[in-house]
Amino acid sequence: MTSRFLSAFVLSIVMLFLIGPFLIIVAASLSAGDNLAFPPQGLSFKWVLKVFEIESFRASFAMSMMLAILGTLAALAIGIPVSYALARYKMPFGETVRTIVSAPIIVPGIIVGLALLRYLVIPLGFNISFALFMAHTALVLPYAVRVVSASMVNLRGDIEEAAVLLGCSRLGAFSRVVMPSIRGGILAAFILGFVTSFNQVPVSLFLSGPGVRTLPIDMLAYLETTYDPSVAALSALLAFMSIGIVFLAERFLGFSRYV
Amino acid sequence: MFQNRAESLALALPAALFAALVFIAPVVILLSEGLRNSEGWSLASYITFFTTPLNLTVFIRTLKLGAMVTVAAAIIGYATALCIVNLPPKGRGRMVGLVVLPLMISPVARTYAWIVILGRTGFVNQALTALGLTDGPIRILFSETAVFIGLLQLFLPLMIIALISALENMPRDAIPAARVLGANWLQVFWKVILPLTKEGLVIGGTLVFTGSLTAYITPAILGGSKVLMLETLLYQRVTVANDFASASVIAMILIVMSFAANLLLKRLATARTKR
Repeated sequence: MTSRFLSAFVLSIVMLFLIGPFLIIVAASLSAGDNLAFPPQGLSFKWVLKVFEIESFRASFAMSMMLAILGTLAALAIGIPVSYALARYKMPFGETVRTIVSAPIIVPGIIVGLALLRYLVIPLGFNISFALFMAHTALVLPYAVRVVSASMVNLRGDIEEAAVLLGCSRLGAFSRVVMPSIRGGILAAFILGFVTSFNQVPVSLFLSGPGVRTLPIDMLAYLETTYDPSVAALSALLAFMSIGIVFLAERFLGFSRYV
Repeated sequence: MFQNRAESLALALPAALFAALVFIAPVVILLSEGLRNSEGWSLASYITFFTTPLNLTVFIRTLKLGAMVTVAAAIIGYATALCIVNLPPKGRGRMVGLVVLPLMISPVARTYAWIVILGRTGFVNQALTALGLTDGPIRILFSETAVFIGLLQLFLPLMIIALISALENMPRDAIPAARVLGANWLQVFWKVILPLTKEGLVIGGTLVFTGSLTAYITPAILGGSKVLMLETLLYQRVTVANDFASASVIAMILIVMSFAANLLLKRLATARTKR
């Protein structure tokens, strides 16, 4: 009995530490006062509503959304073929290829962003949005390859070979036999890539220009000058968005099987 | 297994080329920049970097905070994971869900919460003042303590998850057997649980340690310019002083440490599958 009590005690302390700050953010964002505070001074939705009126947040939210969607789609477009090649073919330098495409996960994002800016973006005169798109694609690529590869592990090659023997083209066999069985994995990779890209800060730190900023970078900049609850409100909204996406994915896909 | 080499390379090429051009080439150039000066290859940037007291302080602080966060995460992680594993299945699933939940929330939001809690007018200071323990607000933000708390909260879930899966793979009757044979709880932990979950501890430890070393947001928000860590120092060197030599040295340190940790992980993983 005492050990059960102890266990409940330990768990509540740790959960308070892990979840508490999030609850405090939610509470602080509902404050009616003008300063960031907990416990909140009165209750109102004014800061939550204000978030939608701040012009730069709207622009950077659109930017982050677009980057997360396009970057993840691009990563999947090049990631699915390479995962397929690694799973199906006896490929020369297979392990080298796998290392190359999963390298961006090991190198800290801030270094990727800086190197990209200095040696690719500036010399070649790319615009910042395009640089951000490339950086986010590189960042998501390892996740795309890992998750899609995992969903190909249990895929039987003989069914596909049978389809080819029965007169199906290779592309036809891929789209009719392989695709239906890895659809869940691809969707899981998309969600993971989206959340990763959307929340990513370091890679975008150096890659911001006039009017072009991702949302987390914009929030950091806003924090430096203002001390009102609007960032808390935005944080809470974003957190609910992420949790909602992951919850739906788990519900309908069994997301955790793939990650 | 298909044998067509040309086909397989054609499928792999776009991704490999993209990663090589957009990612590997620029990073390699950045790293090489620190290894040369106007005359050619040289270690001058490294010597300058490591003989500057501020840089050395930041380097040691980063390692120290990384180690402290990892040790704290291991201790709290074991306590939590042991409690969770002993729960009935339904409660266990819920607890794992709660542990994973913070990982889905933007690190900016998670770190920002600590400003509300630890700031001058924050929750902790209000409580301390109300209880009469301090005369005025004490400064917790912009200290190593604040960065430590922020990093621990950010990375603890990774350790807990790694330890839960290690504990679940442990033979079920190992603990009761040791207890029956007269071991006390401390002995059970040191002689049974720790050796049997070593791999989980290493996996979790590597994730927490490299995560803490390469964290940017937490030291930026909770440490400010007073408590620089390697990544915030890199950002400052580049934006304030245009000092790419130092940036390159810091990049090398971070990459070497991340790679070393990753290599260790891989070695452990292959050792496990061989057995």
